[in-house]
Amino acid sequence: MSNATLQRARPEGRAPAPEQEKPRRRRTTWWLLLAPILAFDVVLFLSPLGKLVGSSFTGNAYQRVLEDPLVVRSLINTLSISLASTIVTVVLGYVIALVLWRSGTVTRVILFAVVLLPFWTGILVKNFAWAVLLQDNGIVNSFLQTVGLTDAPIELLHNRLAVIIGMVHCLLPYAVFPIFSSLTSIDDRLALAARSLGAKEASIFRRITLPLSTPGISAAGLLVFIISTGFFITPVVMGGPGDMMIANQIDYYARQLTDFSGAAALAVILTVLVSILVAIYQRVLKAGGQHADN
Amino acid sequence: MRGTTAMTDSSLHFDRRKLLKAAALTPFAGLALSGCGAKPADSAAANKTVTVTSYGGSYNDQLTQTILDPFSKQSGIQTTLLANTSLAALKAQVQSGDVQWDLVEITAPEYETAVAEGLLEPFDYDIISDKGLPGYAKAEYGIKYLSFLFVMAWDQKAIPDAQAPKDWAQFFDQGKYDTKRSVYNQLSDSSVLEAALLADGVPFDQIYPLDVDRALRVLGHHPGKDRLLYHAANQEPIQQLTSGEVSLSTSFNNRINAARNDGAKLNFSAENAVLAGDYFVVPKGAKNKEAAFKLMNFMSNDAEAGAAFDTVTNLTLANTPALSKLPKEVADTLPTSPRLADKILVRDDKWWSENLKKTEQQFKLWQAS
Repeated sequence: MSNATLQRARPEGRAPAPEQEKPRRRRTTWWLLLAPILAFDVVLFLSPLGKLVGSSFTGNAYQRVLEDPLVVRSLINTLSISLASTIVTVVLGYVIALVLWRSGTVTRVILFAVVLLPFWTGILVKNFAWAVLLQDNGIVNSFLQTVGLTDAPIELLHNRLAVIIGMVHCLLPYAVFPIFSSLTSIDDRLALAARSLGAKEASIFRRITLPLSTPGISAAGLLVFIISTGFFITPVVMGGPGDMMIANQIDYYARQLTDFSGAAALAVILTVLVSILVAIYQRVLKAGGQHADN
Repeated sequence: MRGTTAMTDSSLHFDRRKLLKAAALTPFAGLALSGCGAKPADSAAANKTVTVTSYGGSYNDQLTQTILDPFSKQSGIQTTLLANTSLAALKAQVQSGDVQWDLVEITAPEYETAVAEGLLEPFDYDIISDKGLPGYAKAEYGIKYLSFLFVMAWDQKAIPDAQAPKDWAQFFDQGKYDTKRSVYNQLSDSSVLEAALLADGVPFDQIYPLDVDRALRVLGHHPGKDRLLYHAANQEPIQQLTSGEVSLSTSFNNRINAARNDGAKLNFSAENAVLAGDYFVVPKGAKNKEAAFKLMNFMSNDAEAGAAFDTVTNLTLANTPALSKLPKEVADTLPTSPRLADKILVRDDKWWSENLKKTEQQFKLWQAS
């Protein structure tokens, strides 16, 4: 997605420069276009980040947090919850994208609205709505009891499942759109050709649609996983005390223990860990891609 | 706009370039301004206002109505009350040198931490008269201005008062009440471990030093980990009780009273409660330090305001002149009432200030495992 934006931004950036301009002046103008975002990034992102990394190396912070069994636990929680949410989100997102791609205009507009509506709703609102649905005397449990499927309320809230449900709901749009855009770029004539040669729908999907949409799937997976690792509100509202993720741990260190260097160390650990995972993921993808080309 | 279209082509380009450069440099200009603009304006306005932080909800309305508004009227100092008090934010402000808050409410163990870390201004008892302060309240870097009760509360729709728990053993008894109990997820402000030990039959005078392992063992059996729900803010148990999510919860006497005044069918028992307190402190480098001390002086000595506060909140303000103004029925319900003295546990701030972090960690780990 970022590639596309870059490619588009270039010609637009050049466009206002008229024909008779000298190339040298043109270059200064171009640099100035970048200046606001550069200033913004350096002042508001890189310098605080540098400060944070600096403070994480004071007072044995790394040793202190890594010896804390709660930290280890929430690191494991973060990875496992994020992985589970990513898999569920990408599978569901793929189904939705597939339906979107294949449906007519009216259905498509309605489906887009359904996907986008939660995107525009605040995460707190979404999570509290789920909490109201899932709590012991909530709509789901009263329905189950009225119908007679259960006698007593079943535990739907304040556990791992609830956290994953809440996260998937928030993450879905991030999976649908990359997958949808990779589906729309598939040449329709490929399916036509396959069909004319006697291929069944299932085999068209398996041998044409799925392989050609893998870039969308992997982009969605990466995006969703990275966003997942930073979830904070959902484990608080919908999880139990055993579902603390690393963001909750950072908050706990900063707010309850007022151990700022410990919190900084945790943030650095999370960033490094996710960066390593992303690097591995991209290497695996690249290797997979070359395989397919051969 | 119309002017621009009338210009010649070349000047249009020239203007656009100037505009672009200006736009590019704007963020830097903003930074430069923010660096030097603020200070002179501040010192001119110093001590005309005071920014106070507390915990929010019904309590903030009561504090404004009974203390802050009368203080503003009397002194001409404008007050701003925020709801997001936290020691972490205080520390961040002091460390960054940009202190926004003047008077900050923190818990008793947090007070000890803040003193140890050198985050506070010493209180100026030349400005604050200590005549109205009870003995326990006066401290070097703050005033333990408020006493409240940590209580057991119930939803009257599910548990009528006649069947309400008489002590903590009944409160936690899963055989007696088949409902979840909501308890505070932190220990700086709440006394759930003390409650567990009381439930296990430990007498008031033997609670401290706290046997944390035993307390957690008790909670693990009664009501059991899966029957505990945690709240993270003072107003949360009120919502959990009124929505029927739980029928029993720990809370504070003033929160339940405020909810009752708003028509909620809740009640609590002051017996077997835990008496605890909060401090008001001034962060090191606070811009309106003197105004904050003036407010503390008013709060500790003005009998009218203090009596109004005690009546509305059912909490004890550290303000002895106020007590003589109170009708007996109000005085009897206050946390510090002599009528309650032998029926409640007094929280040991010293033990907590020494053991808070360690115990807090252990409690979290127990919750998570």
